[in-house]
Amino acid sequence: MSITRMRGLSRRHFLQSSTAGAAALGLGAGFGLGPAMAQGIPAAINDIASGASLRWIDSGDQKAVFYRQFFAEYAQARGVEIIYDPLPWNEIAQVVPLGVRNDTAHDVFALPQNINPADAVAQDWVQPYDDFIPDIEAWKAGFPQGAFLPGINEFDGKTYGLPFTSNKRYGTHLLFNRAYMEAAGYAPEDQPLTWSGFRDAARKITEAGAGRYYGFIIGGSQLGRWAQTVRNMGRMAGASAGGDSVVEADIDFRTGEYVFDSDEYIGAVELLIAMQADGSIFPGVMSMNAPQARAFMPQGAAGMILQGPWNIGGWEGEHPDYDFGVASGPVPDEGPTGKLTIGQGALAPNTMFMYKNSPNGAIVGDIFHYLGTLEGQTAWANIVGAGDPPIFPEALEHADMSDRSKFALNMFNEQIRVGPNPVVGNSDIAQVIGAFQAPEVNFARTVQGLVAGELTGVREQMSALKDRYNAALDAAFAEAGAAGAQVDRSDLVFSNWNPDVDFGASDY
Amino acid sequence: MRRRTFIHRYRHQYLMLLPGLVLGGMFVFYPIVAAVFFAMQDWSGFNADKVFVGFANFTRLMSDPFFWAAFSRSLVFLLGTVPIQMILGLVLAVILNDRLLKLSNLFRTFIFLPVVTPVAVIGIVWTFMLSPFNGPINGFLLDIGLIARPVDFLGSSDTVMPSVIGVYVWKWLGITVIYWLAALQTVPSDVYEAARLDNCKGARLIWYVILPIVAPFAVMILLISAVAALNVFPLIMSMTNGGPFFASEVMEIFVYRKAFATGDGSIPELGYAAAAGVFFGLVVLALTLLQAVIARRTRRGQTA
Repeated sequence: MSITRMRGLSRRHFLQSSTAGAAALGLGAGFGLGPAMAQGIPAAINDIASGASLRWIDSGDQKAVFYRQFFAEYAQARGVEIIYDPLPWNEIAQVVPLGVRNDTAHDVFALPQNINPADAVAQDWVQPYDDFIPDIEAWKAGFPQGAFLPGINEFDGKTYGLPFTSNKRYGTHLLFNRAYMEAAGYAPEDQPLTWSGFRDAARKITEAGAGRYYGFIIGGSQLGRWAQTVRNMGRMAGASAGGDSVVEADIDFRTGEYVFDSDEYIGAVELLIAMQADGSIFPGVMSMNAPQARAFMPQGAAGMILQGPWNIGGWEGEHPDYDFGVASGPVPDEGPTGKLTIGQGALAPNTMFMYKNSPNGAIVGDIFHYLGTLEGQTAWANIVGAGDPPIFPEALEHADMSDRSKFALNMFNEQIRVGPNPVVGNSDIAQVIGAFQAPEVNFARTVQGLVAGELTGVREQMSALKDRYNAALDAAFAEAGAAGAQVDRSDLVFSNWNPDVDFGASDY
Repeated sequence: MRRRTFIHRYRHQYLMLLPGLVLGGMFVFYPIVAAVFFAMQDWSGFNADKVFVGFANFTRLMSDPFFWAAFSRSLVFLLGTVPIQMILGLVLAVILNDRLLKLSNLFRTFIFLPVVTPVAVIGIVWTFMLSPFNGPINGFLLDIGLIARPVDFLGSSDTVMPSVIGVYVWKWLGITVIYWLAALQTVPSDVYEAARLDNCKGARLIWYVILPIVAPFAVMILLISAVAALNVFPLIMSMTNGGPFFASEVMEIFVYRKAFATGDGSIPELGYAAAAGVFFGLVVLALTLLQAVIARRTRRGQTA
């Protein structure tokens, strides 16, 4: 601890000296090092033409805090213009495809959530960046194992997409109002809430609130929140399911079957319904999205929310007086807590791709290279923290983070395992993913409908849901097969998978 | 020679019309043709894999329960908004048309003000107004003891459509009042004098005197309001996003969801969405044509 503090003090001293030095050199008041940047912008790895303009689009949130600062300094250092567009996912779903179709796409973009990398490559949306990072293999070797995977971000030996943030996080851990929670008699940081504890705490907080605040809040009009909540509660209760794509996220890789009708998933839905009946869920959740729900927490309108670590930095920065805690998502009342499974080391939604016709490869390569170094990763971690953890574990050791962020990251490492990825096992599975059309009443809508009371009979509905997904999956396999893919549902079975340990490359 | 002479004679007029024709072609005619073309493709809209499927999308549409549910909700929305607008608008117009009424211009302004406010702003403000947490409407209802627990107007399938209908009527009532006021200008002043002499006033005045005279305009206003009520995308999108659980998904939301599949794990189906849009557009077009026919008959009636 003291060493860390000393290092921090040294860093601040260095920054002061650098700033003073810059002033002494008469570089003007506009020049300066960002407070969280370790060493400013390093030397370029490519020849970059002055005056070029680069456009970058992603989903923003806490990432935007870093990028705005970084791009401002980078643009100044390189003599280029960078236009940064942080947009919500539903807008990315429109802007990126339309840009590609009209040949006006951003130079660098995050893929829409329903477009997988294989499709993007096959449809000529993106280009590799191997030619824009000298000795790229040496650079890639600096990433942790599993960051680059064939079928994920490597195609035909070329590198697509920058996997610079870690997937070892989940978006349904508990964030709570500490005062309300203490009054309810719980300490989730010390003892994770069980399902019954979660319900009881919500009820007690609601009673204490007397209409002024409620136990639990969720952005219910954002359908995915329902699916993620049930999925992760179910997984932690013992329904082993893994993967990141909509195709595999609810499949037990030991059997290749969906787990929608498992006792764990059904129990999670029933718990939410019970809490709704208790009156413990904030009224109005059906018409608010996740950012709106998040905004209510620092206002004291609710005691608990199941969301992700991106809230930590935001709340600490914008609501410094808000005393909140971070803890595990609800765990089962009995038995061991199951692990959460991810399909790859890098977070897919954050993976950045270069547009097929971008003329700015030199700039893109330069930025990608920086983000894939310990220096860049540490700078990222200093600002973004636990919200989107850097993929380099070493960066976490160097970064300045709050206690809450450190707690969250340690919790993630304990609770999350890398599972099998069917695309790595058989790259043709990407075509199945691309062909998969979720049922009209999908998992998320089903849960929303059940909690809202529009649907009744949890077990029956979840069983019907499984049937619908099986039909959709079979149709996807058939379509992919008709298009020439060599696939079979057995490609979703990994009999040697143990959910409690990481599935390594040698396990395929 | 005669045709050439005609064109030559009016060449300047045609030249003046050309920009409008070009703009109309670009932004009205071309999109319509493109929509019909897309409606016959099996296409996500965002790649090169287009397959011509003829009328298969329309055939599928006819058996899609979600399409018909959305279509039904659009009709429910129409039937919920137009009658209220018509009746309430007429009553307000008659009241405001009284030249002896003090401050009538002020009231007209207040009634019309929502019309000129952007729809998205209206949606956001009313979402706050209807909120079960700190929303003033719920606050008022709780204060007077009418309800014991806040009502989630936009989050319950029982209340979401009435709520959205109410907001829509509030927003567009002003323009209906303007239509009615315009219609009322055609009522001769001597008719009012005769009615006053016969002690005919209030509801009887409206029903027996004013309404028969303005009936032709009523049909026009009805159809204009009906067509407008079938185009409510921005309001519902900003307030409910079609939820909860499809409860407020009207046709435009259905088309949008199918076209862009925004983040729910589905694949975009622009071709299918275009088919839905074309079909719905034909319905609206039929109403518009009906409006034109009635307008023509009305003019003919006036001439006679």
